[in-house]
Amino acid sequence: MRRRLEIQCEDETRSLGKGSCPPGPVPEGLIRIYSMRFCPYSHRTRLVLKAKGIRHEVVNINLRNKPEWYYTKHPFGQIPVLENSQCQLIYESVITCEYLDDAYPGRRLFPYDPYERARQKMLLELFCKILDYQNTTYFGGDCISMIDYLLWPWFERLDVYGIADCVNHTPALRLWIAAMKQDPTVCALLIDKNIFQGFLNLYFQNNPQAFDFGLP
Amino acid sequence: MAGVSARSMARGSAPPGPVPEGLIRVYSMRFCAFAERTLLVLNAKGIRHEVININLKNKPDWFFKKNPLGLVPVLENSQGQLIYESAITCEYLDEAYPGKKLLPDDPYEKACQKMVFELFSKVPSLVASYLRRRDKEDCSGLKEELCKEFSKLEEVLNNKKTAFFGGNSLSMIDYLIWPWFERLEALELNECVGHTPKLKLWMATMRKDPTVSALHIDVKAFQCFIELYLQNSPEACDYGL
Repeated sequence: MRRRLEIQCEDETRSLGKGSCPPGPVPEGLIRIYSMRFCPYSHRTRLVLKAKGIRHEVVNINLRNKPEWYYTKHPFGQIPVLENSQCQLIYESVITCEYLDDAYPGRRLFPYDPYERARQKMLLELFCKILDYQNTTYFGGDCISMIDYLLWPWFERLDVYGIADCVNHTPALRLWIAAMKQDPTVCALLIDKNIFQGFLNLYFQNNPQAFDFGLP
Repeated sequence: MAGVSARSMARGSAPPGPVPEGLIRVYSMRFCAFAERTLLVLNAKGIRHEVININLKNKPDWFFKKNPLGLVPVLENSQGQLIYESAITCEYLDEAYPGKKLLPDDPYEKACQKMVFELFSKVPSLVASYLRRRDKEDCSGLKEELCKEFSKLEEVLNNKKTAFFGGNSLSMIDYLIWPWFERLEALELNECVGHTPKLKLWMATMRKDPTVSALHIDVKAFQCFIELYLQNSPEACDYGL
């Protein structure tokens, strides 16, 4: 348990709510993500930050009790939002992921080939509609890539939501889930089932303590 | 017979052959706003292409092999690769073809264009709802929603202080949103830009662009198409030919 918290410590901070002080400017060499520990959309961006080894800081936002200053980061107070040291703000989870892939060197998550890039984007669109589109180990081919990270957060939560049965009839998808759980990036950000259950219980009661469940 | 003004292909038609080398094919429909996005980009970038129009009220079976969703636009190249979803086709063309880049290279500027695209995203479904309901019920609520969405775009222009949504020259985001603004007059929705002067000015400037004006749709023709389309007439897509 302690080892998991050590690995995840940069994400595991108390959320900021109403009355909190706005964080200062983002230091050079770092990018900031406004996030929430249990949100699947910001989970996408955190997966990409981790997979690309991008130095970042996390500011968690209390989504039921948003700080007033947060609306200067996003007009509707949504997460995730990226903020860099030039004060540029980027939001919409898929846009943040693509921005990170474009702006940071190193491991490329989207393929280079324009057709393969288009194919991943089409897949994302079809996400909910066509599950038998996949005929390789990962959605992008034989190696894990952007599309896998973009889809992953929902599948990780299937278990907790108690609807893991919905992949019973899709063996390829079950295999994909198993393969994803072997990925070091996915593992590093895996949410503990009990902690997530605790969050959900409080969340559905509209309890603002929900977002900090499991923190010391 | 392939061409932007060709009769559409319908049920029972023979599937077209492979796409010749050096050409890209777009499956389209003359009045479709989504397909117009792709045509705008093809023309803006000077990409050699052929157009096959699809009768959307009587689709050929073979078309579902091109796009399982049976929607236009779809791109097909000489390697048999298929790309669909209008915004994805546009980005694909910008990446795969040389010449003038419509999306900026700078990652932040590119992200900004995509954020504006998100701001626009409710407009197509609002317009579609309006079309379906305007003869049956009071649509003032819908018009108000449309006005609200347009004010968001007005705010972008106010903040950027540029003539276009991507800066001082026309770029991808302008082409992506244009087809709905082009249709406002025909749909009698011009009042929705009544309180957005910068947006109105942008519309006037867009009309002067050679690519935009080359693909201009006659107001009356579009109105007749809409009437036939809402009646599910198989003649709709070929109106005027």
